[in-house]
Amino acid sequence: MRFMVLVKADKQSEAGVLPDKKILAAMGKFNEELVKAGVMLAGEGLHASSKGARVRFQDGKTTVIDGPFAETKELVAGFWIWQVKSKQEAIDWLKRAPFGGGTEVELRQVFEAEDFGAEFTPELREQEERLRAQISERT
Amino acid sequence: MRFMMLMIPKGYEQAAPGAMPDADAVAKMMKYNESLQKAGVLLALDGLHPPSMGARVTFAGGKPKVTDGPFAEAKEVLGGYWMIQVKSKEEAIEWASRCPGSANEIIEIRQVQEFSDFPADVQKAAAGFEEMQAQSGQRRP
Repeated sequence: MRFMVLVKADKQSEAGVLPDKKILAAMGKFNEELVKAGVMLAGEGLHASSKGARVRFQDGKTTVIDGPFAETKELVAGFWIWQVKSKQEAIDWLKRAPFGGGTEVELRQVFEAEDFGAEFTPELREQEERLRAQISERT
Repeated sequence: MRFMMLMIPKGYEQAAPGAMPDADAVAKMMKYNESLQKAGVLLALDGLHPPSMGARVTFAGGKPKVTDGPFAEAKEVLGGYWMIQVKSKEEAIEWASRCPGSANEIIEIRQVQEFSDFPADVQKAAAGFEEMQAQSGQRRP
């Protein structure tokens, strides 16, 4: 099963402050362990929300709001996608991550096609598989 | 440049474990996904199970503390994401605006950090990260 590991934003990341060399080195080591264990599928950092935007949908119309989004406590600063055997394994990995005080990280299980059961009709399944095959061909 | 489109469905913070989107909504979204794919902008996409099946870990004083979902204090949570490769933030906004979103949904657009965005000394400290991403099977543009 796959988990998305969401590292929450804080004042530093929202101010565009980049991690220092010490943190980068520690995170690099942790990432290396994840890769060696075959756990890490993806990992990215995001620019501060001041460089982003939000789109709202109402009655077929959209409204665009430019960042930053200071009012939310749920902003994401970066993420990993991990391949693990259980939620507990994901928690165990996360506990070893070199985060300092105040960091909050959220673990969320990723939907797999088989999670949908009969709702995911053969037509939809085929469409999904085609989509993923085309993506990996392209990249 | 790469952008993440983060789908934030209001109400999903309270969804029960095992909650699923209905087939109609999935079918509509698949059409949109195909349009992203056909335009050659789609790099990755995933949907997430409700937070009631997840966990949060905080690191106060460097010590990990695990809290199982749902998260009572959360006013909004992520429902899924798309990773797209486009030429500008405006193009990312255009794509997000075409999504068959409902009134309870918000799409947040966030630029992904590229290696070249970092100053030289940070790039040096993070040397090997791109290679790591390649090894991990990460799809690169």
